[in-house]
Amino acid sequence: MSVEKTLHAVEDEATLAMANPGASARRVVDTMANDPSDGFLSVDGISKHYDGVYALQGVNLQIRRGEVHALVGENGAGKSTLGKVIAGVVRPDSGQIRLMGQRVTIATPMDARCLGIGIVFQELDLFPHLSVAENIAIGNVNLERRGWVNFRQLDEFCRPFLQRVVLQCDGRTVLGELAIGQMQLVAVARALSMDARLIVMDEPTSSLADDSVENLFQIIRQLKASGVSILYVSHKMKEIFQIADRISVLRDGKYIGTRQAGKTDMDEIITMMVGREIQSRPRAARNLGDQPILSVRGLTTRRLSEITFDLRVGEVLGVAGLVGAGRSELGAAMFGLDRILKGTVHLEGRAIAPRSPREAMQCGLGLLPEDRKLQGLMMRLSVRANSSMTVLDRLQKCGFIRGGAELASIQAVQKRTRLKSASYEAPVSSLSGGNQQKVLLAKWMLVDPKVIFLDDPTRGIDVAAKQDVYDLIAELAAKGKGVVFVSSELTEMLTCCDRILVLHEGRRVGLLQAAQTNQEEIMALAMGSVVPDKE
Amino acid sequence: MGMTRQIESAGGRVLGALSRLQSIVGLILIVLLSIVLSPKATDGSIIFLHWGNLTDVLRQMSVVGVMALGMTFVILTGGIDLSVGSILALSTCVLATLLTQWQPGLDYGWHIAIAVGAAVGASTLVGLANGYLIFRLGVPPFIMTLAAMIGIRGLAKWLTRNATMDIGFGQDAAAVFARSIGDKTATILVFLSLAVIFWVVLTRTVLGRYVRAIGDNEQAARYSGLPIRRVKVWAYAMMGLLSGVAGVLYAAQTNQGDPNAGSGYELDVIAAVVIGGTSLSGGKGSITGTIVGTTIMGVLTNILGLNNIDSNVQMMTKAVIIILAVWVQKHRKAD
Amino acid sequence: MSNCGRVLCAAVVSVTLMLGGCKSSSSPTEGARKFTVIFSQCNNAEPYRAAQNDLMTRLWAQYPDVQFSILDAQQDDKKQIDQITTAIRQKPDLLIVAPNQRAPLTRVMGEAMRADIPVICLERDIVEPHYTTYIRCDNYAIGKMAGQFIVEHLKKKYGAPKGNIVQLQGLLGVEAEINRNNGAADVLKVYPDIKYVHTAVADWIQSKAKDRMIEALNANPQIDIVYAHNDPMAIGAYLAAREKSREKEMIFIGVDGLGGEQGGIKKVVDGVLAATFVYPLCVDKAVEIGNSILRNKDFKPQKEYVMTSTAVTPENAAELLKKTAN
Repeated sequence: MSVEKTLHAVEDEATLAMANPGASARRVVDTMANDPSDGFLSVDGISKHYDGVYALQGVNLQIRRGEVHALVGENGAGKSTLGKVIAGVVRPDSGQIRLMGQRVTIATPMDARCLGIGIVFQELDLFPHLSVAENIAIGNVNLERRGWVNFRQLDEFCRPFLQRVVLQCDGRTVLGELAIGQMQLVAVARALSMDARLIVMDEPTSSLADDSVENLFQIIRQLKASGVSILYVSHKMKEIFQIADRISVLRDGKYIGTRQAGKTDMDEIITMMVGREIQSRPRAARNLGDQPILSVRGLTTRRLSEITFDLRVGEVLGVAGLVGAGRSELGAAMFGLDRILKGTVHLEGRAIAPRSPREAMQCGLGLLPEDRKLQGLMMRLSVRANSSMTVLDRLQKCGFIRGGAELASIQAVQKRTRLKSASYEAPVSSLSGGNQQKVLLAKWMLVDPKVIFLDDPTRGIDVAAKQDVYDLIAELAAKGKGVVFVSSELTEMLTCCDRILVLHEGRRVGLLQAAQTNQEEIMALAMGSVVPDKE
Repeated sequence: MGMTRQIESAGGRVLGALSRLQSIVGLILIVLLSIVLSPKATDGSIIFLHWGNLTDVLRQMSVVGVMALGMTFVILTGGIDLSVGSILALSTCVLATLLTQWQPGLDYGWHIAIAVGAAVGASTLVGLANGYLIFRLGVPPFIMTLAAMIGIRGLAKWLTRNATMDIGFGQDAAAVFARSIGDKTATILVFLSLAVIFWVVLTRTVLGRYVRAIGDNEQAARYSGLPIRRVKVWAYAMMGLLSGVAGVLYAAQTNQGDPNAGSGYELDVIAAVVIGGTSLSGGKGSITGTIVGTTIMGVLTNILGLNNIDSNVQMMTKAVIIILAVWVQKHRKAD
Repeated sequence: MSNCGRVLCAAVVSVTLMLGGCKSSSSPTEGARKFTVIFSQCNNAEPYRAAQNDLMTRLWAQYPDVQFSILDAQQDDKKQIDQITTAIRQKPDLLIVAPNQRAPLTRVMGEAMRADIPVICLERDIVEPHYTTYIRCDNYAIGKMAGQFIVEHLKKKYGAPKGNIVQLQGLLGVEAEINRNNGAADVLKVYPDIKYVHTAVADWIQSKAKDRMIEALNANPQIDIVYAHNDPMAIGAYLAAREKSREKEMIFIGVDGLGGEQGGIKKVVDGVLAATFVYPLCVDKAVEIGNSILRNKDFKPQKEYVMTSTAVTPENAAELLKKTAN
């Protein structure tokens, strides 16, 4: 059987090699590294798409028994999705999953649990108001289903697993009273109590302090020794190299390759993560003024520490970083949505400290939020209503909306954003993603702020609309506005921005000239693998 | 590309029209049924269609109708107000007290105007308090107005020492008031004018736009810098005001200030609003819809009454109609 | 299910419902001329009124050419006004009204009269005499009887006319309430040592009376008499006292004296109530007069008919119970 598997693996690699020439040599090496004789779980050709966007495309992966297998990739590369497919939380559109050579169907989390696959989520899926024992017992395949609960029995059942994860607590402790690190261990204990032979850990250390991380790693090593495999999904390079045996890389939903941790280094992994052609031309250098339109010094909030930078008149500043690095939080802080604990913000020389979006707008700031459906648009209201929402004060007389003035303003701004909507009365929910984004942009153009913070403006929109957005950003900059541009797509940032601010865990780790840097450098800084240099 | 966009926005218009159409379809259906099921007068004419009967229906739905206008705004902002019946009672008591126990020696017109003003003013104050406390204390509207429902009822009963106050049949100010406002035409005119005014407010003013926006997506409204607190407090204050007006109409029709009045009316009001297509989660709804919803309930009560249906059966029928109306109007979630 | 599908489904269901409901209630029989009699009852939920409804239905059923229906206003004035307005549209041959309160119903009954519909006002009165006839009971006399009973009882208990009374009232705007109150009060006012230590309103309802009684019990260490203006309230008070184990300390007096297992007479037999006063249903008289109005065009009823009441005490309770069972 193992020969068959090897052949399969070689076949897959050959297909990939044909699709992506130039990497075939590397691929052969991979095949040997992926010797399936110890194979426990393998996924073949898994694809999953959401609303026409591919989260995973033909991904293959092999996980061996008793190994810690890391899964890495940029934001949106698909690593969380793959973990969820394996754990039964998400159903793939195509592909197969094989457990010890046997084909299995994992349609629900319960199926996964019955097969011995457990998952510890990044956002814990535990019940804070119930006790530890109850959390372990809920949905547990190893406990008989009865109508009533026998607490003593429950306690006895849970104790060995709690001991295995070295968690000193009574089964009756309410979960919400534990520290985050301990809660994570309860989740691991739960997976173990269902005889998990593979545990998928999705960003397990994102909420942990350093000593809890070390504790978790101890547990992981012990589990490894007892034959449990771990799929460790993360973007934290340092940790991965500490704990993983092998590392697999996903990029844009595709499987790129697997390396032995001991035989590779961070640079190679990063190159695999970002390596792609830059399709658009680099921008022409802009003529920027000397005066900073926005000056941020030592900005500290709950999630940010000591952020310092200047934004010049007519400049486009990109903000790069991993999810949770603090990019959106930066916008929130400046826009009055988050309390500023320390530090100052100066707009055109004047100190500002807005306590609400209203005040921020009055100072001359604008914010295009990250999630247009949740934070940006009123989906049931019309294009017209959404566009004019923020400037109705200007378009009214004695409280009545001046329809003519409203229409005129919207028409003027619609031309600039190239929004195509046959009727202004249509609800925005009926528009495509790209057009919805344009409505939001139109709204902010009407407000005409001095500095605008665009949080992921091109997320989930089609290529043509993206180009329109880039043109708009260039136009805004040409008019002397300051633009802060947050994005996860490094290519577009390199094209649109003058400089790029890189954040890592709430701190500034780099401020680079766009014309003089590349994706690898940005990614390396974002992942915290390079010592930051002060500019 | 332009083609798809044209289609998608045309589709949007049709969808919008369709959702408004549904409640009107329901109304037409009920009216047709009423014509068919109506008993006949001795001269063979259809009693339901008698002008007198139709205006009866309008008058009978005025009290609930006026309150439903206010409730539309409250529900549009994503809230709810359970205290409307109690505010109505308070209004009738304040009005009756001032009309019967206060002898200012003024011209009847002024006396009535002041009494009405005070009743409506007191009700608006209660509404303001509701709105302010909901926002300030962060208590969910359901709970806050539930407490107000109980508290204001108690206040009304305490103020009048549990007694009712007759608004007489003689010649004094009270009687003049009852005769003029209690008149069918006057009542209907008050209801219809308020309906028009609030329709204009919702569709043509900045405030109306803000109400819709906040109800549709409060977070986005915050991000857009809308004055959320001001709008919400306003909505509850208007609800109080309209409950006060409803109380004035009620007192005129029943010739009485009654601390027990309006008990349970909040559910009739909410039912009318919901049947008219306003979503309880906020953001979707219209004044036209509310009026249609109120009319459906009014016509239903009328036709069941004309046929002398047992009141218990009437209640069950109404329950079924409410469920049907809401079920029909549930949209599939837009992707 | 698509939206169109839902609309269609809902339409079918509501049509069936309405057709079924409306057709089943009105079953006109050809032949003999049908009289329509409509009875606007203020609140089906009170036992006294439920008894009225029962008796009225039974009596009218004796006449097969009379179509009789009852409207329930659920103790809401506006509802009753609206129901009567709609009833007027049907031009019934006779309208019987048990008004919820005095002032609210005055105008609409006047409208009925103006529409040439004979109106019988039942048991409770209205502010102006907009009715063909008013059938009532002498509540003042009942109040007086209650007052006298109280005086006798206290004299027997203490040797002198002194004691503490808790009074439980019904809806204050109603004639019966006013007179049962005043009848007793006028008797008792000449005895300075007989005091009303607590008076509360319980809207004729047993559960509310229980709550009010608990407050009274907490406030007063010694209670001799509980005078409740109807039996359900008296029973509610008894239950409250029994919870506090003080039911032996006092006696309970009610008004209504209905027969049957749930009625006040049985409670006197069982020793829960010390006395009650039969409050005639007035229904037999109403049907008698109503029938005459229907059939005899020249019949001119009196403006008022007063029904008399009887006191029910442990002495005559058993016998009265047997009589009402017929």
